[in-house]
Amino acid sequence: MAFDAHGDTSDEVLMVLYANGDRHAALALTQRVTPRVLAYAARLLGGDRAEAEDVAQETMLRLWRVAPQWRQGETRVTTWAYRVATNLCIDRQRSRGRRRQMALDDAPEVADGAVGAEARLQEAGRMAALEAALADLPDRQRQAVVLRHLEGMTNPEIAAIMEIGVEAVESLTARGKRALAGLLSGRKDELGYEDDRDAG
Amino acid sequence: MQDDLDDLLARAAQRPVLPSEALMNRVLADALARQPQASAPVPRPAPRPGVLARLSALFGGPPVLAGLGTAAVFGLALGYLSPTTLNYLTGTSTETAEFFPQADFLTTEG
Repeated sequence: MAFDAHGDTSDEVLMVLYANGDRHAALALTQRVTPRVLAYAARLLGGDRAEAEDVAQETMLRLWRVAPQWRQGETRVTTWAYRVATNLCIDRQRSRGRRRQMALDDAPEVADGAVGAEARLQEAGRMAALEAALADLPDRQRQAVVLRHLEGMTNPEIAAIMEIGVEAVESLTARGKRALAGLLSGRKDELGYEDDRDAG
Repeated sequence: MQDDLDDLLARAAQRPVLPSEALMNRVLADALARQPQASAPVPRPAPRPGVLARLSALFGGPPVLAGLGTAAVFGLALGYLSPTTLNYLTGTSTETAEFFPQADFLTTEG
């Protein structure tokens, strides 16, 4: 499943090839888009892996359905997928109310095995705290912060996904970061940032 | 805290959220199940014969119609050609017969 016969082909062309019955295009799109949508959904949903997988699968399902009517040049596949995933995440959050704070045990495992157990635990705790703080942000601020700082997108790309102006994206991101800093500042000791306090 | 936050966000961005093989298999199965099949060329229905074709079929088809046309043209030619040309073509002479010899007065004036 690691083989990508369309390494240089754009996602948009792959959509056309998929709609024309090219099975390699189906595989290539699955490999390219699914991990990104999953990561984004997991971050929006506060690390809830099971829900993020459901969102990713549903997003991809909608992508397959829309493929025959896909019009090249109107929007990018990833922009479309992020937009759909955003709406699915919002629906899920609304249906279940404010999600529970992710438990420390639910934090994803740290890939680097070189760090010690204590440092790994502290890192996991920081990430869990970040996830929890992100979850406490208003929906639009959380989306903007995740897209900008965790997905590494540019402001125009975020504007296209959120269907707002670039200035609005900048405002949402700035306010989101300020709110995040405020939420995390009360947990500096817990997060192991006491050195900053000592230095300050 | 702002620097800590930037650092935290940067590290969070680098943490991979890898899809499970089961998820990838489910997504690919969905993709293949819903993929439009490459369409085979559909044979086009034979074009409906036109009015002339149907008229031709009524008289027995193009060969018969061609024979009829040739005969008609030949008949017209025979009618228009002068007797001299006809004699030339057929190699015979034409006898002139006067059926009403006393009727010349009808064609002369005064």
